[in-house]
Amino acid sequence: MKRLLAVLLFAGPAFAQVLVSTDRGVVVARDGRIELAGRWSVEGVPHPTAMVANDERVCVLDALDDLAVIVTLDRGQTTRIRTASTPIAAAFLGSELYLLARDGRLLQHESGAIAIPLSADPAFLAAWNGRLYVYARAAGVIEESDGERITRRMNVAPFASDFEIAGGVAYLAYPREARLRTVNLTSMKTNGELGVGAVPVDLAFAGGGTALTARVLAVADPAAKRVWLAEGTQSTAEAVARGFLRGLLGLGLFTPRDSQFPTGVDRVETRGSIWVAYDSSSRTLYRFTRKGSVVLARNVPPHGFALTPRGVAWWDGTSVAETTLR
Amino acid sequence: MTAQQRLASDFEIAQMESQLARAHDFEAQLSGRLNLGDLRAARNEPALARAEYTRALTLAEHERLEARRESRLTRYANATSYAALAAAKLGRGTEAFALLEEAARYASDDPETWNLYASAMRILGHPPKAVAAARNAVAAAVKPLDLAIYRHALATALIEAGHAGEAERLLVAVTEALRSEEFATLRREAARQESFEIYDSARGDMAAYVSLLNRAQLRLASVYEKQGNLEDARRQYQRVLEGRTDDVTALAALARLARNEEERQQHYAEAFDANPFSMQLIREYRRTDVAQDVQGEGTGAQMRLALAQLQRGDRRAARATLDALLTKFPSNETLRSLRREAETATSVELPALHPTAIELRTLADGFEQLTAGQRATLDQTSYRSEVLFAGAPGNTFSSGTIDGIPFRFSEPTIFNGTFGVHARLTYRILGVAEGGALLLEPLGLEALP
Repeated sequence: MKRLLAVLLFAGPAFAQVLVSTDRGVVVARDGRIELAGRWSVEGVPHPTAMVANDERVCVLDALDDLAVIVTLDRGQTTRIRTASTPIAAAFLGSELYLLARDGRLLQHESGAIAIPLSADPAFLAAWNGRLYVYARAAGVIEESDGERITRRMNVAPFASDFEIAGGVAYLAYPREARLRTVNLTSMKTNGELGVGAVPVDLAFAGGGTALTARVLAVADPAAKRVWLAEGTQSTAEAVARGFLRGLLGLGLFTPRDSQFPTGVDRVETRGSIWVAYDSSSRTLYRFTRKGSVVLARNVPPHGFALTPRGVAWWDGTSVAETTLR
Repeated sequence: MTAQQRLASDFEIAQMESQLARAHDFEAQLSGRLNLGDLRAARNEPALARAEYTRALTLAEHERLEARRESRLTRYANATSYAALAAAKLGRGTEAFALLEEAARYASDDPETWNLYASAMRILGHPPKAVAAARNAVAAAVKPLDLAIYRHALATALIEAGHAGEAERLLVAVTEALRSEEFATLRREAARQESFEIYDSARGDMAAYVSLLNRAQLRLASVYEKQGNLEDARRQYQRVLEGRTDDVTALAALARLARNEEERQQHYAEAFDANPFSMQLIREYRRTDVAQDVQGEGTGAQMRLALAQLQRGDRRAARATLDALLTKFPSNETLRSLRREAETATSVELPALHPTAIELRTLADGFEQLTAGQRATLDQTSYRSEVLFAGAPGNTFSSGTIDGIPFRFSEPTIFNGTFGVHARLTYRILGVAEGGALLLEPLGLEALP
């Protein structure tokens, strides 16, 4: 079916749960509240869609209602912000918080005093080395900002499904092309590209990246029903010398026919040696290693889990559950 | 007109039920359920509409899982978009948003994904988000018919976001394109097959062409009407009737724009025959001199008879008329609402010029019971209240509350100056919108100290 004309009907309330791990514990946004267990519970937002934290504050976004609530971790003091349309992401630049309003095409400072215009469909935001980087998905543009203006801009392929930064390199996943691309953020030039799996959707960094070892990427591929482990650039200089990715480490974790991810996984998150994968279609959360995987929990909301210093926490339907994995 | 006369949507309902019985693939089943839900909603049968949307959501969720098991990610993204649309129609905003974002991860290069995103955002009452999504769809469109569909979606969202100028330009381009030589083949095919059905989820190019032409002309006509360009508005509404003689929106509009009473009553009679249960039509009709001499046994005529009986205070007769209709349409909320009205004997007082919350609530609850004289007085009365607008400070507002009583404007309104969300509004009361909010016409806005 490729034809659809819209009608206007009705709207009503529904709730989601979003978790983030902080130095003081796991913060959960749900049912119009934001809570740090045993510390505070404050008024939140109707539809929490994302959350970011540093060591002092947490910011809950409501991309549907164009709201952000910032809470101090120590005392639970709140600041409510009306944002431009669709605050899809936020990031701290030092202690300053910036909000990415995708449909408003703006990068906004929390004070409201700065609003930087962006290219079409700015869908991803990341910080590195005192700069913010926005990937405008439809325009195919990476824009660098010092927090007051756009300082540099470069064209890349549009329609990536993930944009992550590590070690001065931006990594972009292109599910339609089965390809990863990298950009050297120092030179703002494309590093290289590599075909990975069938539909690489999401990526995370799974170790390496030292002076002696190359960075290892974990790439979720729901079509192949695998998490690929791939070696990324070690450094800018080596990236040029070696080409981008030396190749995949092995053939991925599992074969499609006998996958331990029956419907595939489409999200990966890592924190040190703790690696988890998530399947949005079945709402299943897995832990995985180089050797295998185990189901951690089922019926977990899409943003209802977070990696903690010791393991992983998730929303189990009534409260925050946590398991130690180290 | 006869007692066996069919409503305008009867044919579409029969077609969709036939499609559901005949074709069992995902798209046929899904479009059938979505269209049946829309058709039931248009007839003010909300329980039946919700049941259809729930079935559509279940179908789409099942399709998502199957597609993932089979590693067919394009199919997965498509099913996810439709699951989002069904969730939006059920008012499940958080779920719909999460699904739309999920679809966009896989198919941000697909204009149809963005078109569905825009539709869901409109349904959930977020026109600026719908505009952004529709612009993505327009930018990525390849085929001419797709481009026309996405431009129409963008224009629709722009109207709701308060940007009628750009919307008008788009709608003129769309309607001219659809009538041009470029679409001659589709036009001839539609004429040859005598295709006239209007669906929101149309399958195939010809069905999409017929539905799109209808909707685009209606929207353009409405833009002209709001501008006061009545001749162009009439012309567009007439064009709609060339494609489908029983389009209730066009008939009601032509009644509104009629040059004399006879013409007005004729168009209203035809509009009621097309959809007797449209609350918008009934509200409009009751603001006029309701015809007391009603002929005919059809459902539309019986509805006009019931309204005439209510208008003159003959509640016993109105109950009898409505009870007879309820035996034929037991799930219809319009009939139930009028039946409750016919049961109550209380009269409604018009509010004071600085109305209290109780006065406004009473008016909202009993709006349908106002006499013609009270409605005429209401039309000419300006009220003033302190209001709390929804949204951020600025110069554009579309809804809010007066002492806790919700209200909205018929479209977002741009005021001269910058205002806080707490301000003093001068307004006229037009009626009651979907969801029970008062529908207001803003006349002026003052900042509060």
